[in-house]
Amino acid sequence: MLTLERVTKRFGGLTAVRNVSLDVRRGDLLGIIGPNGAGKTTLFNVIAGYYRPDGGRVVFDGRDVGGRPPHVICRLGLTRTFQLVKPFGNLSVVDNVMIGALTRLRRVSAARLEAERVVETCGLAPHANARARALPIGLRKRLEVARALATRPRLLLLDEVMAGLTPSELTGIIELIRLLHADGLTLIVIEHVMAAMMRLAQRIVVLHHGEAIAEGTPAEVARDRRVIDAYLGDEFVLAQA
Amino acid sequence: MASLPPRRWAALALLGVAALLPLVVRDAFVLDSLILILMWGALSAAWNVAGGYAGQVSLGHAAFFGIGAYSAALMTARFHQSPWLGLLLGVVLSIAAGGVIGYLSNRLRGPYFALSTIAFSQVLLIVASRWRGFTAGSEGIPVPFRPGLWTLGLGHVAWVYVALVVALVYYGVQVWLETSRIGYQLAGVREDEDAAEALGIASRRLKIRAVTLSAAMTAVGGTFWAQYVGFVDPFYVFSIDLSIRFALNTIIGGMGTALGPFLGSILITSLETYLRATFSGLKTGFAGIYLVIYGTALILVVRFAPEGLTGVAGRLGAWRARADA
Repeated sequence: MLTLERVTKRFGGLTAVRNVSLDVRRGDLLGIIGPNGAGKTTLFNVIAGYYRPDGGRVVFDGRDVGGRPPHVICRLGLTRTFQLVKPFGNLSVVDNVMIGALTRLRRVSAARLEAERVVETCGLAPHANARARALPIGLRKRLEVARALATRPRLLLLDEVMAGLTPSELTGIIELIRLLHADGLTLIVIEHVMAAMMRLAQRIVVLHHGEAIAEGTPAEVARDRRVIDAYLGDEFVLAQA
Repeated sequence: MASLPPRRWAALALLGVAALLPLVVRDAFVLDSLILILMWGALSAAWNVAGGYAGQVSLGHAAFFGIGAYSAALMTARFHQSPWLGLLLGVVLSIAAGGVIGYLSNRLRGPYFALSTIAFSQVLLIVASRWRGFTAGSEGIPVPFRPGLWTLGLGHVAWVYVALVVALVYYGVQVWLETSRIGYQLAGVREDEDAAEALGIASRRLKIRAVTLSAAMTAVGGTFWAQYVGFVDPFYVFSIDLSIRFALNTIIGGMGTALGPFLGSILITSLETYLRATFSGLKTGFAGIYLVIYGTALILVVRFAPEGLTGVAGRLGAWRARADA
């Protein structure tokens, strides 16, 4: 579904993403982990069209989409969320989601129905008419997901939707992601919360200094010496054991 | 339509009053005030399309107003054609100019965009005031009065209804922007352009379209104004004062609301005409006093009703609904 071939992104002298290749098949739930500054969000920005890659190819459904603008990529079926959430603050929750739905639906009435359905799925129904800016962070993260879902993506990119959540909010959003995945959605999930990722992802890619240093099942990755040295640390291994 | 929200009823009521007023009042001063209130309201509504709904705050909309005014004035005075052709020409020219401003809105943000729009209107001012051979330069152009609808030589009562139709159409455009697919997408672009892009909205194209629509609407307003007033002075039609008037009416009334520009115009225009009439006979020391009142009104609104008059009305409505419950 999505194939990255030796994707590279530089900012001046800094190479934020270097020669990253990966393959996402229909129905996958791929996790991308790595320490701060590893290039995770930069990679998302390249995939979703916010940055033009300096090298390599981004192939979505057989089409090279590298450098295409974000709205085109979204219409092709690839939608992303933002780590620093970007709600339409002055609009209601349901209007936020409806703007996503309007990408596929031309009629406002149909889009509103769709938005109400998605709001329900994402557990935002009690807050449907609240202004987006009035929501606490946990619900704003959900709103990010809801809005993206309303565009009916086939591949959804979630950028740290679990960061900064309370344990109960965390459980809730993991359930939501599992539900979406069970419904047939393909996902790439960036996460800093390693424990959550271990519970969720089928496959994990570890980024470090812009390079993919390991790929495999959560268990394989957690045993990988380079990953332990670069990111997890020996304490994590002990805690898992 | 029993489900019409209160603010739409308020708008219809205001337009109804405006429609009925000429039937009972024949006083030229009152009708003149009414026409100006409607015209400035409609022009502020045109500004609101870019400034309020698309979030592109322009301080150079006089450029489009002047294009419309000059197109009509030159078409009638120089080429002896109908001002309606001038209106058409003004629309075409302002769409081109609006495309330029819309392009700038994708390159420049906030204050830098606003400054570039001022520069744009100032360039047109210089062209209009220096190109003596064609525009008659800083002397301005008297618009010939030839009675009839085709020549837009109308009496006060007829002008009320022309202005009313323009106001009604512009109000309708704004309502469309609040309820249509494009309108919601534009709201997304206004709130957060990156997020809108992520949701599949071609934000740049949409902004250019909104600014262009706003420009064309402003040019149409400029044409009618020139035909009504009968004189086009470059230092007035391209002035920053005028650009600020469009913005000010809308900010005071409520940005991004359909009724706001008209409420702002009712307040500011009637205040202005009243003060002018009251103080014009006095010593020249009072000549600028309405500017002081302008400033005071703006400060009061920004301090006590930053969302404009419609915001205050909304809060009162909510408060009453709670009190009833």
